[in-house]
Amino acid sequence: MGKTRSYKAQKVVDLMKAKTKSRQIMLSLESCVKCGQCIDQCHYVLANPDDPTFAPPYKADKLRKFFKAHEDWTGKVIPWWVGARSIYTDEELEELKDVVFGKCTGCRRCSLVCPMGVDMATFNGMARNLLYSVGIMPEGVWAVAKDQWEIGNQMGVLKEDYLDTLEWMEEELQSKHNDPSIKIPIDKKGADIMYTINPREAKYDPRSIADAAEIFHFAGADWCMPSEGWDMTNFGLFVGDPSLGAAASSRLYTAAQELGVNKVVISECGHGYRSTKCEGPNWAKMDLDFPMESSVITMLDYIKQGKIKVDKSKNSEKVTYHDSCNFARSCGMTEEPREVLSLVCSDIQEMYPNRQWNYCCTGGGGAMSMSEYAPMRLKSAKIKAEQLRATGAKIVVTSCHNCVDGLTDLIKHYNLDMKVTQLVNLVANALVVPASKMPKVMKEVSMPLAGKKILVIDDEPDVRIFLTKIFKENGCEVFEAPDANQGMRIIRDKNPDLVSLDMILPHKTGEKLYWELRKDEKYKKLPVVIVSGYTKIDDPKIDFDAFLEDKGIPAPQGFVEKPIHPDVLIETISGVLLEKV
Amino acid sequence: MGNEINPLVEFAVHQLHWVLLFMGTVYAFKIRWILKHPAGKDRQAPTGEANQTSKSGAWYSLFSIAMPWTLNSYREKPMMYVQFVIFHICVAMSITMTIVFSYRPVWLSAPATIAVIQVIYAAGFIVGLYRLARRVFSPVMRMISSPDDYFSMALLVVWVGFSFLVIGQAPAFAVAIGQLDASQVASTQLNEIPLIAYYFLTAFFLIYVPFSKISHYIFYPFTRWHFGQTMGHRGIYPLKRIDKMKAR
Repeated sequence: MGKTRSYKAQKVVDLMKAKTKSRQIMLSLESCVKCGQCIDQCHYVLANPDDPTFAPPYKADKLRKFFKAHEDWTGKVIPWWVGARSIYTDEELEELKDVVFGKCTGCRRCSLVCPMGVDMATFNGMARNLLYSVGIMPEGVWAVAKDQWEIGNQMGVLKEDYLDTLEWMEEELQSKHNDPSIKIPIDKKGADIMYTINPREAKYDPRSIADAAEIFHFAGADWCMPSEGWDMTNFGLFVGDPSLGAAASSRLYTAAQELGVNKVVISECGHGYRSTKCEGPNWAKMDLDFPMESSVITMLDYIKQGKIKVDKSKNSEKVTYHDSCNFARSCGMTEEPREVLSLVCSDIQEMYPNRQWNYCCTGGGGAMSMSEYAPMRLKSAKIKAEQLRATGAKIVVTSCHNCVDGLTDLIKHYNLDMKVTQLVNLVANALVVPASKMPKVMKEVSMPLAGKKILVIDDEPDVRIFLTKIFKENGCEVFEAPDANQGMRIIRDKNPDLVSLDMILPHKTGEKLYWELRKDEKYKKLPVVIVSGYTKIDDPKIDFDAFLEDKGIPAPQGFVEKPIHPDVLIETISGVLLEKV
Repeated sequence: MGNEINPLVEFAVHQLHWVLLFMGTVYAFKIRWILKHPAGKDRQAPTGEANQTSKSGAWYSLFSIAMPWTLNSYREKPMMYVQFVIFHICVAMSITMTIVFSYRPVWLSAPATIAVIQVIYAAGFIVGLYRLARRVFSPVMRMISSPDDYFSMALLVVWVGFSFLVIGQAPAFAVAIGQLDASQVASTQLNEIPLIAYYFLTAFFLIYVPFSKISHYIFYPFTRWHFGQTMGHRGIYPLKRIDKMKAR
């Protein structure tokens, strides 16, 4: 009598049989000769040399054993001889989850060195899909995938917030150039270009939208942004799910078709570019009649054609370029970003290895949404940190939003004296505005928070980066903590003027930390502003009001709801701090 | 006039084509199995430079093994590539020799030819031993290896060793089957034990190969071709600016 198999394991077996009908996947699973050439090409291995479980063939073998047990002749007849083994329990599925989500970013560096041509990233994606289909995945991945299914973008940005952000950026640009004719056109039928973005830009980095709009404006482009189908990212790639991939990409394609645009321009995002341009048409089974290009190509064309003028002396700090895995290894975009960089920066230092052989930023494959693997990710980022440090650059440029977050996180972790930016920011900064369009009046900037010390406690690196940026722009000194314990240490060491506190944190929740602060004689008056997206509507367990009542402690000095609007945030923080003064 | 050949050797030689036919049949089934799986289609518009197409990518991928500078691992560790080449040349030569030795030993009878082949076998044997040792002693390699991986490697090493011993008997064997005159060779004495062992080992090897990891060369052209097609279509293959990449 055979071994019994759990319901989920049986489901995974059935699905695997259907998935491996693709010749490419079957060949990749069947062809590995375990020669070991890929082992030291993986950043996880290089950073964890004593742990063989990080080796690509070991990770691949977790799935290969399973495939062999069900699909290969020898695996069925003499499984012990060829190392075939099926999956039986939910614990084994959990173990597989830690391998395919936690120990591989799908960067494809190992695929490119494999003498046999085994594409490990592709079947790692397939393995993720098998687990995703039975609900086994990191919590963050589930949340993001759910948002993309339900709301239409992976960060759950509501349509009104997105449109508000565009309007706000339009006003900023008009104010900057004192020119009300600068527009961010929305849903313009028959426009030449439809510009699509990563929702991270709408939520945390709206300056990138403004920078792109500035470039389009001064290039005299006939462009627009769609009110629907504007998210070019696709979590279908990270969970290996063609259905989600199709749903997300077809939204964008449909928007382009309905607007009747000539071309879709995709803002700088590695996986977004790959998903929209390469994988999307396959997932959606659509043969598209409009071209799609990266904004890197668009900017390069504008500069080369003289549509915009740039002055490279405006970007004089030493920069280096980080090739995103999806851009370089999956889409061949290695030279165009360098061309743009050479036109807008005066001091460039190449990083080694580079192009298709560059190391992953360690934030790829959706890793930034898997907080449970963050310590392992940061430890493995040592290789990237060393690579960055060796350049001596002050700025690392990348054409990928995931890389921006991954690199920012590791730069902080390894105390590198660097910041991360994108080409769009550098091009916009280098723009030479025609004299006729020069701003007549410079906007006066006031900094009510100058000199204030603010501690940001949030487990999402994206949010920390965003908040830090806003606070720093307002003259604050900012400290960051990814959890409550580290936050408490910083409170004791640095004595901040205010704490920006998230509710949902790993290990110890925000409300527990808040309670501890209020109990502590020394910190009971320390201003705290709750910055959170979760309410009791999202999760009935989170009823902060009831918690305060139950503990008999006063409410925090302020609340700011996510998605965060910078003006609201600064207004709230200023109100709290000025009131304290 | 030829020498008397041990009937066991004669039997083995005369059954060789049946063994080869068996191997070929299993391979035919294997290829049929591969082709039964439909190849995915890439709908995206082609990207990249003029020389980067599905076809050029596929050919580039297929021959990338002959261009070690395109594979970062070999570029960083050229000695790994040297031993890879030696080992595979040696195995390919052993397979070829099985047929040539059996049917046209006269082609292998020149002392210089024998010396060159023996040098290659010796090098292949040493590389094989190193590879086996690496699989046994490296923790990662050990974790990913199945009994078939060890056995296949050991089998190849032993087989190459026997090939080294047997090749020296090509002139005497040529005399024995009447392809060469006894006066043209230094010795007509056949050392039958290694010859019998070699032939039976060869027969076993050819029967075992289609079921073992050694059969990877059947998958190789398909895997590399499809990988290269995608990479060419998406503008990655042929790799651009390798000169600027530099190893770490």
